Amino acid sequence: MTKRMWMALISLAGLFLGAYLTMYKFGVIGTLACNVGSCEQVQTSRWSVFLGLPVATWGLGFYSLMLALSIAGLQPRFVDSRRLSLGVVLLAGWGVLFTAWLNYLEAFVIHAWCEWCLGSAGMVSLLFVLAVLDWRETRELETEAALDVA
Amino acid sequence: MANKRVETGRGRKPGVVKASKKGSTSNRAFYLVIAVIAIGGIAALTYASTRSNAVVNASPVDSTLPAVKSEGYVMGSPTAPLEVIEFGDFECPQCGRFSTLAEPDIRKNLINPGIIRLRYIDFPLGMHANTWNASRAAACADQQGKFWEMHDALFANQDRWDGEATSNPDKVLKQIGDQIVPDQGKFNTCIDTKAMQAKIQAHWKIAMARHVEGTPTLVIGDKQIAQALPYDRFKEMVDSALAKTGKVAPAAGGDTAQSTPVGGSKSGVKKAQ
Repeated sequence: MTKRMWMALISLAGLFLGAYLTMYKFGVIGTLACNVGSCEQVQTSRWSVFLGLPVATWGLGFYSLMLALSIAGLQPRFVDSRRLSLGVVLLAGWGVLFTAWLNYLEAFVIHAWCEWCLGSAGMVSLLFVLAVLDWRETRELETEAALDVA
Repeated sequence: MANKRVETGRGRKPGVVKASKKGSTSNRAFYLVIAVIAIGGIAALTYASTRSNAVVNASPVDSTLPAVKSEGYVMGSPTAPLEVIEFGDFECPQCGRFSTLAEPDIRKNLINPGIIRLRYIDFPLGMHANTWNASRAAACADQQGKFWEMHDALFANQDRWDGEATSNPDKVLKQIGDQIVPDQGKFNTCIDTKAMQAKIQAHWKIAMARHVEGTPTLVIGDKQIAQALPYDRFKEMVDSALAKTGKVAPAAGGDTAQSTPVGGSKSGVKKAQ
């Protein structure tokens, strides 16, 4: 399993998590499964909507894009693409910052935690670490290739 | 300087110049895993949406308790064959979702045709900082015949006055109520003096006596249901309760609900929208 494969798998899991919470926000799911914390308090708070869309829907879009990029990165054309790796690092970095802001809101503004949000935070952090490692790997490959040419 | 074409690739050893070998077998296994997870995820989401619509928290009503006859706020015809009770908390998100998502259909299809009447009884939960203020404000609006308008406005604007939004809920509740009630001075005084506190406490005691533990809790026939039902499940429960009692519901499709005040409040009832 390569790092990009792991990223694709994590993104797919995140995609379903985002879909689950989005379905809840749009009334398709009546009650959230929530064993720890106060998911509904978080998911129905004023902070659960960003720029007119549920935060969960933004998450769904984020994970979909991450999944698409990760799978694209497995194709022969892009398999060693440093540019693609850099794009994934930037996207995952944005995800980490956005998630950190949401966790701050949970801790200090809403005063409630949502286990799904914490799970997503873990996945985004993992994606970022993998993305950075992948980017470093492509950079090393590029350097090696340059040396080989020389 | 050498000028040869170099093919690079992950997995090769440093210094070895050769094409990257992307194991096709490895990729196939990976896509298989992706497909399995995707199918599992879709199945889980389907199950979640189906399960959440099921009635899972229904228990029999304690038949030793006296019937609720005069408390709360009633919408619908006094001659409707079935009365549904909702124990609600204005700051409860699930109550808000029930109010905004299911109640419009309930009013249109069940209350307006005279099939049921709905009685709302406050059950302000301790976990919500501003819910008592909201219940009092709704009761103050009821003094002027505007309970249900206030009820709808409170649920639609939960994020303006709830514990997250403000530590001075009365100020916001007055702003909301002033758009609804005809006599704003009377309404504001009612809020400032907490004139309706005893009434809300009485409602709370009724809920406690009936072992209500959360909100919304719906009493439909002989079932006490501790969850917000979507309209379809709600109607199924109503149909089941009517079948058990043998009472005949009026033909649907009419708009014949009588907005008759029922006990305890001067108005408390509006014609269902």
